[in-house]
Amino acid sequence: MAGIASLCCPSSAAAHLVMTGMGPVYDGIGHLLLTPEDLVAALSLALYAGLRGPISGRRTMFLLPFAWLIGGIAGLAVNALPTFPVSAVSFLVTGGLVAADFYMPVSAVMVLGIVFGFAHGFLNGVALNEGAGILGLLGIMIMLFILTAFAAALVVSLNKPWARIAVRVSGSWTFAIGLLMLGWFIREAK
Amino acid sequence: MNRTAIVALALVLCAGTNTIVLSHESQPGILELRQVSRDRYEVTWRAPIYYGRPHPARLVLPEGWKDTVEPTVRMLPDSQVFRRVVTVGDRGVEGIDLRFTGLEKTVTDVFVRLNRLDGTMMTVVARPSKPFAKLRGERAWHVTAGEFIGLGFHHILSGVDHLLFVLGLLLIVNGRMILLKTITSFTVAHSITLAAATLGYASAPLPPLNAAIALSILFLGPEIVRSWNGQTSLTIRYPWVVAFLFGLLHGFGFASGLTTTGMPKSEIPLSLLFFNAGVEAGQLVFVFTALALVRSFKILEVQWPRWAEALPGYAVGSLGAYWTIQRTAILIGGF
Repeated sequence: MAGIASLCCPSSAAAHLVMTGMGPVYDGIGHLLLTPEDLVAALSLALYAGLRGPISGRRTMFLLPFAWLIGGIAGLAVNALPTFPVSAVSFLVTGGLVAADFYMPVSAVMVLGIVFGFAHGFLNGVALNEGAGILGLLGIMIMLFILTAFAAALVVSLNKPWARIAVRVSGSWTFAIGLLMLGWFIREAK
Repeated sequence: MNRTAIVALALVLCAGTNTIVLSHESQPGILELRQVSRDRYEVTWRAPIYYGRPHPARLVLPEGWKDTVEPTVRMLPDSQVFRRVVTVGDRGVEGIDLRFTGLEKTVTDVFVRLNRLDGTMMTVVARPSKPFAKLRGERAWHVTAGEFIGLGFHHILSGVDHLLFVLGLLLIVNGRMILLKTITSFTVAHSITLAAATLGYASAPLPPLNAAIALSILFLGPEIVRSWNGQTSLTIRYPWVVAFLFGLLHGFGFASGLTTTGMPKSEIPLSLLFFNAGVEAGQLVFVFTALALVRSFKILEVQWPRWAEALPGYAVGSLGAYWTIQRTAILIGGF
């Protein structure tokens, strides 16, 4: 009561300052959410992992963010952008796999998650070199973990055949976007 | 709720803590325009220090605004202050756009305040997604509403200490009814102090407030572990009581997010209402994200190891302890 009473003595306005050092982590979270090349491709991979069942979904949920972080650290260190159209290929591969509901063993899905995560993480690392750095990568990793868990669990929980078809339709759209991105990349390269 | 599965959310909150940071990166910029005569304004642009360097955003004044005295720049520990006195011409300032080049590459909001000679005042916020501020007189209520809902939403989601406290509560409660009661208590309590502080009936000085908020998080750490070990306590039996009491403290923290905008008195009731709505929306998003994550872990059949099950409680307690020590040190002038 005394504490509350002491607070009730109007004095100078006091600004709340959150002294947590979390700014770069939020930068990273924002970076992922505002970068469709990463966000859509990662969601597409999570949907595919979900289509392959709970084990694939679970392992991708852990492996993808981890590989992304390792790739990001490599990107921070190397700081050179590859000339390879990573995003376009990711869209094509993950979109194609989802659309076809292509069977792959769990180990293959894991390898895909590692390669995919490392490649996109590398690009992010280069992008974050000037700003949020390693803490930014941590923010991306956290957001990626949450989104992968949501997307994979959503697909695993789908029981109705039409719902799985809807997921596959989303894969076909991702694939189509990947084709456009690849076409654009080739046009720009000429 | 299944506290074991929520480990990842604790990781979300503990992962980013690093060394002592005395002013954080989302500290807002402030631009103040004070009318000194019919067509003359004093322009003060306080750009916060961003990642240890001068802020990359640059204020661009409209063409036709002319300096009447030499502009000055002052370097402060937490910001750079640019001061100019300008004449704005016959057109005045109504409908003018003030641009901040480079703001779009940052996470900084800028509060723009216009003080007129007749005592009226207006505020507007420029954001990275909208790196300009349009000065205008009266504006529709829904514009104000949208602005302050966004501000409240942003304030709670960027306030990791508030979120960690809510997470601590989530880890203690068992059952939907208790969860509902606890979150409602927290909401009611922080709404009371938010309103009291915004309307000027009460205030809390910053350093002890921050230390007390950190202490509220530290308090929950042992309670989580106790609950996890199957023990009981007043907090575990009645988490809504603790949520209410500490919610009063957190409300003062939320209030600062609103009062620093320097809103005009006529806009206070509306701003308060919608800022609080934004805070509640942000809080609900966080709670539902946590619950959805728990559900996802169940669907994906995640089996957490024993050490991972204990992590959330220790994470909340450790971070609470760290911030309590850090903020107490600041309070007594050690840092």
